[in-house]
Parts: sequence; C-alpha cells; structure tokens
Amino acid sequence: MAEQEYTVASDSENTAEEKSSSSPSLPEIAVGIDIGTSQCSIAVWNGSQVHILRNTRNQKLIKSFVTFKDEVPAGGVSNQLAHEQEMLTGAAIFNMKRLIGRVDTDPVVHASKNLPFLVQTLDIGVRPFIAALVNNAWRSTTPEEVLAIFLVELRLMAEAQLKRPVRNVVLTVPVSFSRFQLTRIERACAMAGLHVLRLMPEPTAIALLYAQQQQMTTHDNMGSGSERLAVIFNMGAGYCDVAVTATAGGVSQIKALAGSPIGGEDILQNTMRHIAPPNEEASGLEFEEVNRKVFEECERLVVQCLRDARVEVGDIDDVIMVGGCSYIPKVRTIIKNVCKKDEIYKGVNPLEAAVRGAALEGAVTSGIHDPFGSLDLLTIQATPLAVGVRANGNKFIPVIPRNTMVPARKDLFFTTVQDNQKEALIIIYEGEGETVEENHLLGYFKIVGIPPAPKGVPEINVCMDIDASNALRVFAAVLMPGSSTPVVPVIEVRMPTVDDGHGWCAQALNVKYGATLDLITLQRKM
Amino acid sequence: MLSSSPTSFAHPFLSSSPPLSPISPPSRTARISPPLVSASCSYTCAEDSPRLHQIPRRLTTAPASLYEILEVPLGATSQDIKSAYRRLARICHPDVAGTDRTSSSADEFMKIHAAYCTLSDPEKRSVYDRRMLRRSRPLTVGTSGLGSYVGRNWETDQCW
Repeated sequence: MAEQEYTVASDSENTAEEKSSSSPSLPEIAVGIDIGTSQCSIAVWNGSQVHILRNTRNQKLIKSFVTFKDEVPAGGVSNQLAHEQEMLTGAAIFNMKRLIGRVDTDPVVHASKNLPFLVQTLDIGVRPFIAALVNNAWRSTTPEEVLAIFLVELRLMAEAQLKRPVRNVVLTVPVSFSRFQLTRIERACAMAGLHVLRLMPEPTAIALLYAQQQQMTTHDNMGSGSERLAVIFNMGAGYCDVAVTATAGGVSQIKALAGSPIGGEDILQNTMRHIAPPNEEASGLEFEEVNRKVFEECERLVVQCLRDARVEVGDIDDVIMVGGCSYIPKVRTIIKNVCKKDEIYKGVNPLEAAVRGAALEGAVTSGIHDPFGSLDLLTIQATPLAVGVRANGNKFIPVIPRNTMVPARKDLFFTTVQDNQKEALIIIYEGEGETVEENHLLGYFKIVGIPPAPKGVPEINVCMDIDASNALRVFAAVLMPGSSTPVVPVIEVRMPTVDDGHGWCAQALNVKYGATLDLITLQRKM
Repeated sequence: MLSSSPTSFAHPFLSSSPPLSPISPPSRTARISPPLVSASCSYTCAEDSPRLHQIPRRLTTAPASLYEILEVPLGATSQDIKSAYRRLARICHPDVAGTDRTSSSADEFMKIHAAYCTLSDPEKRSVYDRRMLRRSRPLTVGTSGLGSYVGRNWETDQCW
C-alpha cells in the first residue's frame, strides 16, 4: 500500500483527480457504512468480496450512541458501557438518525421526547434543543455532532484495520429522508473527515447486492432480457423502506421507492406504553392490536410501491426482507400476503445486506474492476420524493414527481397573480403532501425584473434538474408572450439552500410578503 | 390542476443540445424556438456550465426515432427492448460514462430512458407507432428536422 500518497492526497480538495491519475492502479476504495437508528456497520470490498469490519469487541453490528460522561465524548465503537442502564442515565445520546435534520414541529421529534436525554421543542420550526446530562448539567449538542463523533470512531477503527487512511464513503439513508436531511448527513461526515461519494436509499443498496447475486448465479443473462422483479422490504428501528427493482445482467433498475419514519422503536414504545410491564407476557393479539397502525403503514408502503412501479403481484419473482423488524412474524405475514408469496428470499443476511450493498457501491463508484465481473454492476436510481414549488395559494406543485428515473430534468410554467407584479418568490419543497406545510422546505429565491403586465401574462418557467449524483438544481426564467428570449437572465440555484430554522423561514416569508409575490400554474390556451 | 401545464415542447432554455438543423421544427410552439437556446446561453451559463456547450455524441448524428435511439428494429419484441435499454445503460449511464462527459451522458441517458418508457409500454408504443407513421409519410422528403421534432416532443411529453 502506498501510504504516503494517501496522506498527501487527503490534504486538499483537488487532489482527488491527481491521485487517480498518478496512481490508477491504487484507487482508494470507498467504504460502505450503514448508519442504523440503533446499530451501525461498516464494510469494504477487499479485492474479491465484501468484508464487514468488527470492533474491538468482535462485533459486526455496533450500537449507535455517544456518551458525554467524561470530558471527551465517546461513541459506541470503542466505548464499553458498564451495563445497559447507562443508556438510560441521560448521558448517552442515541437515535440520532431519527432526529437529524428535523425541526421541532416534526412528529418524529415529538415522539422522541420521552428518551432519557433531553429533547425539547418550542414548536416554532427550528431545530430542537437536544442535550446530554453531564454532571447534573445539560450539555447541548446536535444530531450532526453526535453522528460525527460516532463516525470519527468508525473511521479510526477502519483505518487501523485497513492500514490506510479512509476518506471516501458510501452511506445508506432512509427513503423518506429529505434533501435537507441528506445535507445534514453530509455535514456530519465532513465533520468526521469523511467525503461522501453516494448517499444510497437503503433498499437500493440491497437491490445492488441482489443484482450481484443474480449476476453471479446466472452468467448468461447479460442482454438476454430475463429480468427478475424483486420487492425489497427493509424495516429497522427507525424507518421502514420499500423498493421494487427490475434486475438483469448486473443492472438494477429501481422502479419505485416508498418510505416512512416508522420502525422497531415505535413498536417498542407502543408495546411498553400499552402493556404494563408487571403484567405477564403480552399476548400476540395484544401486541398486534397496539401496533396496528405500524403494521397498516407497512402494508400501505408496499401497496403504494407496487402501484407506482406498475407491477402486477403475479410478476414478482422475489420478496426480500431485511432489517431487524423483518424478523417479526406479523410483518412477514403482511408482506407475504400483499406480495402473494409463500417464501421470502433466503440469499441475504437481513442485518448485513444494507452495508454489503453500500460497500459494493463504494467499490463500483471508486472505479474498481473485478476480473470475475462481480463489480460489473449499475444501479439506475429513482427519486424517492417529489420536488416542486409553492403555487396556486398554498399548494405544493411537483415539478419532478416521485419515482422519476435519475438523472431527471423537467419543467413547468407559472404566471403572476397580481397586475404589474415585478417579482416572484420561487419556494422549493420536497415531499408528497398536497399543501406546502406537509412537505420539506428546501429553499427559496426571488425572480426580479418581470416586465409590467396584467396578471397571468408573464410566463415563468421553473425547471429542475437532478444529476446522476443526485444534486438538485433549479432554474427559473421569465418569458413574455411573443418573445422567445428570457427577459431577465436565467437564475440557477443549487438546492437545498436552507440551513436551520426552515419552518420559521417559510412563516416569516408569508408574514412579510403575503401573496404579493405568488405564482399560479399557467393555463395554456391550446 | 397540477398537470395543467406540463411542457409540450422541448426544454426552452436549458437544452444542452444546440439546434441541430437550420430548419425550425415544423409545429413546435411558436413562442419559444430553438434560437433561444443560444440566446440564453450567452445570458446565463458562461463558463461554469459546460453542459450547455457540449454536444452529446449520439445527438450529432442524424435525428433519431425512438427505435433508433434504442438501436432496435421496428419490430423489436419487448424482451429486445429491455435488453437494449440495459445494454445502453451500461454504456451511457453517467455512472459508467466517465467523469469527463457526465453531463452529456445524462442527456443521452434521459433520451434513452424516455424512448424505453414509450416503447416498453404496449399502449404508448402503439400510439407512437401510429403517430410516427402518420407524420413520416407526407414529410419524408427533404425535411431533416422532422425526426428530431418527433423524437424531442416525445422525449419531453412522455413519462419520466
């Protein structure tokens, strides 16, 4: 290993290219990390297969938490808790994956208020106050900071074992994460000295692993068209994700994604709240009843995903179930019923599939070639959530709908709502709700210099572009009828632009401008 | 209301493919015509947006029908179409095309995907076939812009 080169390469931004050109034989293989709500794992392509790293206690699944007990915070990678009770003293912060990038009006944050550490909400659309109890005082922190502390430990552990610096990573993320939440994950990685090559929706990592397995078992299907349709159901402690993928010849085409922030944590809380601990063991029926909503949501996600993918249940070849909750018999029954399958795919380890897929993607995006073709893989991704703008009052108008193939580019036309309206606010949201409040605010910018005209005349074109690395750019142009040239320079803005306090921003904009800078969709006279 | 104004023409000011032929596409919406592309280029993009200056490799050749884009014969089976899509994905998807031409390959792959969307759906395919047949007969002679118009129109009209 040419260690020297890596040391130099990590010093500045632009050395990435130098590195690849100067040592094409030794590209740095990105590691794959699966950050779970309760457990994390890290894996890397070792030249012939995926290798999952173990911590000093020989564990592949590492509990996700950070304690603020001493001067220096310590994460769960190296830190051995004296006993489980220590998680409950308030000194340990965990569940950061559920809290990251959420504002204090978010129901998921509210559901976290009974955790042993402090989660305080003021319900004004800013980040919640999160703190650990250190020597009887609250030490405030953020989910990004907690995640970064944890990731630093993971990185150091990996560097010690791989005997090389680790900089590039592929992480898996829940399908329901907004782009704002993704920027928070990237921020935490940057704080930990890690460079994110890809943030993969969890089931798409599993789809990649599945694609590799299919390719290895059927050597001759390259181009033969014998594609296999798989439903991937992934439910861990914090999130439930579903994907439908069409796989052949190492190409995994994601047909649809669906996700929701429900998981084992909700099941645990429901069970503890409704079934008093001193009682004898909860009966199966009781357990199913208190968690009915969770199970209904699981079913809804699969049904929605199949519908979005336009897949008939009879065409499903495999049903893959992963994540801790995939062991729950009720969940298995639901998924088998919806997909009308008696058997669940047995080729993957439910607790390791995501990190293995992430490590495969790490090797593929690092440009590693395998002589046996086991890295001859490609994922064609789809957008998990719609992106669009606020228009027609408080409506969310999607410009790129969910489950659009990536890369994607689409546009819509809008017009003014006031006579002689000179400016317009373009407010970008992401999500599935009909009104903007139900969606995630990504950012906003103003178009200025609209020529004086009656309302409904200027044509405002809003175009959104998502590239293969999932970067979203928004373009806005003003056109006047009869003219083919934009009257003001086209504005191009990379999203998201919001930092913290985004719920607050939307309200402030509303207070300041009301409907004076609003837009409505343009009705074309055909 | 949501779908009240989906674009019915190629992207007006962002298209990374400059006008291919001097002949304006026949029935494109009059308001926004191809010269706009170059016009807006000088406005906005400058040097930091190389994508607007690049001419995708496959587009420099003659304008193509959806079948030509997917490199399949007119009578291709749905299996052929799926295989062709995957084969082209392996070459043109930005993840495999190499960093030097990521943006042009994105455009190229979006076209391939749009063609695949139409041709892999039996209903959309038959509509497209009828439309292609109808348009091509009277206009085959002397119009080089035709294919590009049909292709482009479909690319932006159709699912993705």
